Amino acid sequence: MKPNFRSALALLFFCVAIFVLPLVLGGFWIRAFTSAAIFALAAAGVGLVYAQLGLINLSQIALIGVGGWIALRLNFATDLPVFLLVVIAGLGTSALGALFALPALRLRGLYLALVTLMVAATFQILFNAFQFPNGGSGFWGVAQQSGQAMRRPSIATSDAAYLAFSMVWLALGLLLIEAHKRSAPGRAWKMIRMSEANAMAAGINVTWFKIWAFALSGFLAGTAGALLAGALRQLDARSFTAIEGVLLFALAVVGGVYSWVGAVLAGVLYKLLPALLNNLGVTSDLALIVFGVALLHAIMTAPRGIAGQFEALFQRKDKA
Amino acid sequence: MIDVANLTVKFGGVVALDDVSVRLTDDVIGLIGPNGAGKTTLINAFSGFAPVTGGRIRSNGRDLLSMPPHARARWGLARSFQAVQIVPDLTVRDHLQAVLDGKGMPRSDRAAEIDRVLEFLEIAELRQREGRFLNQFQARMAEIGKCLVGGPRMVLLDEPGGGLSEREMVCLRRVITRIHSEFGAQVLLVDHDVDLIRDVCSVTAVLDFGKLIAFGATADALANEVVKAAYFGR
Repeated sequence: MKPNFRSALALLFFCVAIFVLPLVLGGFWIRAFTSAAIFALAAAGVGLVYAQLGLINLSQIALIGVGGWIALRLNFATDLPVFLLVVIAGLGTSALGALFALPALRLRGLYLALVTLMVAATFQILFNAFQFPNGGSGFWGVAQQSGQAMRRPSIATSDAAYLAFSMVWLALGLLLIEAHKRSAPGRAWKMIRMSEANAMAAGINVTWFKIWAFALSGFLAGTAGALLAGALRQLDARSFTAIEGVLLFALAVVGGVYSWVGAVLAGVLYKLLPALLNNLGVTSDLALIVFGVALLHAIMTAPRGIAGQFEALFQRKDKA
Repeated sequence: MIDVANLTVKFGGVVALDDVSVRLTDDVIGLIGPNGAGKTTLINAFSGFAPVTGGRIRSNGRDLLSMPPHARARWGLARSFQAVQIVPDLTVRDHLQAVLDGKGMPRSDRAAEIDRVLEFLEIAELRQREGRFLNQFQARMAEIGKCLVGGPRMVLLDEPGGGLSEREMVCLRRVITRIHSEFGAQVLLVDHDVDLIRDVCSVTAVLDFGKLIAFGATADALANEVVKAAYFGR
């Protein structure tokens, strides 16, 4: 595929997602697509760290929760516009994400995966212990009864408009990643993945660029969390379990970590497939079996994920 | 000018470099020695990858050992690796660009600098080619290109001739001899090919079991009886 053709496809995709989908979908599907877009944003972050540095981060779900917590907390404490809440949640979470990079400076592979899994488990406990703010008093802001809802921006109060709002954020997030990949950080990450000695010998500050990748991934998770709070109007601590973090990483790999299409596919698999099964009257737990098969498939035959397979298909057609 | 004083590197109980002292002032310096003599260890000590337990490496009053590896590279210490480090999905141009990113060269000068290096190495037409499509010689040249961009002060080449054909060696030889006049950097060349060393290096240091056993004009160093014994046995 020619680069221009690629960009045109991406543009077309997001035009449809932002302008057409909110008009044609029904209420149930609008909510499902909104969730899919939001989790695609978070999956793009995990995928980035894995593709660029080869590091496994299973704690993305915890960061989504933290982003949601910050957004909800500020929502009830301040009158800041929602747009700012999302940005602040993203920045705050990115600082925490950078902190999560510290073990990654010394560990990799299975050991790093285990550490991040433990981090996710820790946050699972914290979320359950303190819950998400819902307009109550005090620092934790949890009211026992009749919690209040997260605000939405005035231009996106309806579910349909909020879908478009989320899609715009997804597009911005993916553009941010693309901009990184095509500039100094992208080059530095690739050199680091080759070998750290190689990167250092080329004058690249390995520590800094690893932290940067985690911070960027955290930023995406944080914005996703804030958007999710707005989409659902309230967050449930039970949704932010460590196992969901594993699932999100696995689906990012299945979708394909090397292109934005993979992140979108991860969101589709994670949120749309269960919705589809529900809609067909089948238990959505069936999705887990599909995920397992898809992961095996990805590991054995498609290291670049489904997105990579699509690309190979197009390339073959180009040659023919 | 680089001044190495009493440099010692130990891996656990193994002494890889034993109290090495040498002043490197010539433009192209050879470094030879049998396998395991400590040649690569010396280069690694320069770049910051070897556990230095004693001694100093100074250049014009600057203490290299106190700097982290990436800072040494930015200061102007460039090195190539025995196993070329070319990223499969990065173009030749982007490899050089990645080195320049850290050096703080004005954005407007970077393209010209990259062109200058690629033309010097005669691989300008490979500018947009990704690493995975390079053959061994092209990858080696790109690896040397990474060392030459952004004003290096010292270029350490670790067996750049490994696995190259006769014709490719001619190109490599020409490149190495012209590095100093073109880029102003000193070159330290590690290689097993004695002919290459004899042709391009004015002085040569010889290591054996981590000790510096000879240092001086290349012809003298190669004719040295101790060196012959180290290479061929008595």
